[in-house]
Amino acid sequence: MSRWVGAPLPRKEDARLTTGRGLYLDDVARAGQLHAAMLRSPHAHARVVALDASAATRLPGVHAVLTGAEAAAASRPIRPLIPTPVPLPDWCLAVDRVRYAGEPVAAVAAVDRATAEDALERIRVEYEPLPPVVDPEAALRPDSPLLYSELGTNVLWHDVFAYGDVEGAFAGADGVLRERFAIQRYASTPLETFGAIAEYDAGLDAYTFWTNDQRPGLTLAILAESLGIPQARLRLVTPDVGGAFGNKRRPAYLLVCALLARRAGRPVKYLEDRLENLGALMHACNGVMDVELAYRADGTVVALRVRDVADEGKNLVSPTQHNLIKLGNIVNGYRIGAVAYEAYSVLTTKCPSGANRGIGKPFMCFAVERAMALLARRLAMDPAELRLRNYVRAEEMPYTTPPGAQYDSGDYPATLRRALERFDYAGWRAAQARARAEGRLLGIGIATSVEPAGTNLASYELITGRRAASGSAEAAMVRVEPDGRVRAALGDPASGQGYETVVAQIVADELGLTPADVDVERGFDSSTTPWLYLSGNYSNKFSVTDVGAVLGAARAVRDKLRRIAAHRLEVSVDDVELAEAEARVRGVPGRGLAIRELARTAYADVLGLPPGEPPGLEARHAHQNPLARPVGADRTVRSQLVFSNAAHCCLVEIDRRTGAVRLLRHVVVHDCGRELNPLIVEGMVHGSTVHGLGAALLEEFRYDESGQLLTATFMDYLKPTALDVPDIEVDRLEHPSPFTPLGAKGVGEGGSIPAPAAVANAVEDALAELGVTVRSLPLTPERVWRWLQNPEEAR
Amino acid sequence: MNEVAVRLRVNGRDVRASVAARRSLADFLRDDLGLTGTHVGCEHGVCGACTVLVDGRTVRSCLLLAAQLEGAEVTTVEGLTPAGGLSVLQAAFQECHALQCGFCTAGMLATAHELLAENPAPTRADIRDAIAGNLCMCTGYVNIVRAIELAARRLRESTAGRP
Repeated sequence: MSRWVGAPLPRKEDARLTTGRGLYLDDVARAGQLHAAMLRSPHAHARVVALDASAATRLPGVHAVLTGAEAAAASRPIRPLIPTPVPLPDWCLAVDRVRYAGEPVAAVAAVDRATAEDALERIRVEYEPLPPVVDPEAALRPDSPLLYSELGTNVLWHDVFAYGDVEGAFAGADGVLRERFAIQRYASTPLETFGAIAEYDAGLDAYTFWTNDQRPGLTLAILAESLGIPQARLRLVTPDVGGAFGNKRRPAYLLVCALLARRAGRPVKYLEDRLENLGALMHACNGVMDVELAYRADGTVVALRVRDVADEGKNLVSPTQHNLIKLGNIVNGYRIGAVAYEAYSVLTTKCPSGANRGIGKPFMCFAVERAMALLARRLAMDPAELRLRNYVRAEEMPYTTPPGAQYDSGDYPATLRRALERFDYAGWRAAQARARAEGRLLGIGIATSVEPAGTNLASYELITGRRAASGSAEAAMVRVEPDGRVRAALGDPASGQGYETVVAQIVADELGLTPADVDVERGFDSSTTPWLYLSGNYSNKFSVTDVGAVLGAARAVRDKLRRIAAHRLEVSVDDVELAEAEARVRGVPGRGLAIRELARTAYADVLGLPPGEPPGLEARHAHQNPLARPVGADRTVRSQLVFSNAAHCCLVEIDRRTGAVRLLRHVVVHDCGRELNPLIVEGMVHGSTVHGLGAALLEEFRYDESGQLLTATFMDYLKPTALDVPDIEVDRLEHPSPFTPLGAKGVGEGGSIPAPAAVANAVEDALAELGVTVRSLPLTPERVWRWLQNPEEAR
Repeated sequence: MNEVAVRLRVNGRDVRASVAARRSLADFLRDDLGLTGTHVGCEHGVCGACTVLVDGRTVRSCLLLAAQLEGAEVTTVEGLTPAGGLSVLQAAFQECHALQCGFCTAGMLATAHELLAENPAPTRADIRDAIAGNLCMCTGYVNIVRAIELAARRLRESTAGRP
């Protein structure tokens, strides 16, 4: 049955992607297409006093100009994900006020990008600067300048949650560890930037969008509302996507292209340049977490209290995501019986925050795993031992955490033990002692984490008090074509995950074919791909929703093939099985019909079908993950659904002269259940881990006090190169989830979650002689060098 | 707009063109010649996605102007691809899963090509050093290093053939 699922099959898509024959957004050229550029605010916060674009309109080659005021007249505001106490209209271009440096105020469509950029220089804008709001804690104060005076505050959401007897647990504890941690802004920065092409058909009053947007279901809803036309007249197509990681979504840009295309009567393409991408698309929230761990003298953690401030920047589209996801995973892999969590989602005059690989969980893990490391230090326990004492145990699965997450499967202690073994923990502790005696700064860091998959959108009811969207689901299609070959499509557009290969493996197993017989569509096309509002490439959801959709569709086609074969061979359906491109009669060698022949019956020779069987060999199926539930009366919720887990061990050495942290080894042991394609799984683990290493050591969107981004190019915003990171060493356990159709669990985000904490723990361990406490990232040479000079400032 | 006449060879073919003086080599290859296998990732010479070979050496095509290329021999990923199949390096990239989204791949291949032409037996450290100017946001580089190692071994073991 399972001939292909589980095989480390090289990817089908690589035949085109290694030879330059992919089709990325900028490779799509629609007839007569124009190119758009956007004029962006130089101020973090200002009133737009006057805007005159008339000179831009007159430049030869310019076909359309759109100002904020015109956009507001021609479209409706973009619907926020959570309703605000008073309406805060958010149009696709800023209208009378700009709220971050880089916010677009006008756009031009011209014959080429260079001409469009020339035209931007002719637009005159008069700004009246207003005080910026840069620091999220300062933004909470009553005297802070406000982004929206009508809101009366910069706080979009504040709430306090308590699960279990928190006060009692703290009162009865032997000790309490209190620490404040911060995380910087960073992003996964896909190598291809974000963009769209919009085409308007005046005859049909309909739009087609080509875009690398990674969440088409939700985006289509927003486009229809803002353009005021039925969804039936919108088509959205995704080509090959050059990485996404949560960052690729900005409905405003699609709207700008649509309005320009309508004005110009020609297709309009907009693609960010890198400055626009780094400064204005999407950053992971920076923020502050105050953590209190109540513990017994033996190291058992009995309660956790967290105050969590998430800096959303000017994010009205998807705020509170980071808070909610932290809440849902706040105990990490530990059996902590009582939890208090206070959330602040705060607006500042910075780039909008949004989804970024692991959303919120890297900071959750950084704070919790740093606290565990500090507790081990305080109790003079080995940090591995402390964790082993506190894990949820395999025999407790499925285990429900105080806030309501259900950890479905896995063996967390075994995962850490395997990692310690692979790392040779005891050996390196001994080596470390020798190195220290020689004056070297060698450090070992451990961090472990849960890695959830699938987001239950019902969790937003905690904020809004009403349910708009809920659950986690995806849709797929499988069709045996008249020639007997197979086509499949999925509502989740891949951005590097290899779905064309993995989906082909799944379908091939169900239909008795090979992956070579199955063509999986490149991306998403709302006019042919089955899709839901929930469709998209996000939240690690492939294994927990998409696989079920593909399987459901494939099995419906499989059963139909068996019924047709049984009818034609005059045997019972139960006796027909599919193998080697045939429907065979079980136990009767040589008796069977080729799938190609059955396809001929289904599409052409339809009188040969069983009575009542409709022609065709196509099925659509949508799968809802069965674990999602509405919010409970006690405010518990399964905000995410199926849980993988991982343990990281990291070895660093610090150069005393420069403060540079060198990563010597990084071992990952992970458990994502059944691996559908181990080659692809391992690649995801490498890549996500390096995202975490970048956040730990290099990456930071730094703002100055006036709200200007100081790291807006790849010369200043440093990504890991091949020389910055070691070969990631990977090993795995395999505890299948009982709650997914093939036992697979999420794997896309994993490494990005514990890697920053593992590095931080290793750096602190290397600096043990100085007594330094690592409270924030990234651990750049400058910061570490300062600590080496003056350890007092970080104790 | 100033136009400049240039004559060059691209992937073995003679090209004569009149280009805007401000046109980058990357835009010239992609928009004028339709060679969209070369990708533009940062347009400020850091990410390496747009790397192509000029007279056998890697260059950032976003940092060169097409008008500078008079008489040059340019090779892009299309020119590194044999008719009807994959090159040794391309096959190794597929086999080792050295790409995920594929956006950096053309530039990585150009850089690997240059490396193997100069050093047929690179160590892992040599490979990491060579590709340090090409960013990959997906793979963490592990499988790219493996793929280049594998291709180098295959090329050494075979008597002829190009990377």
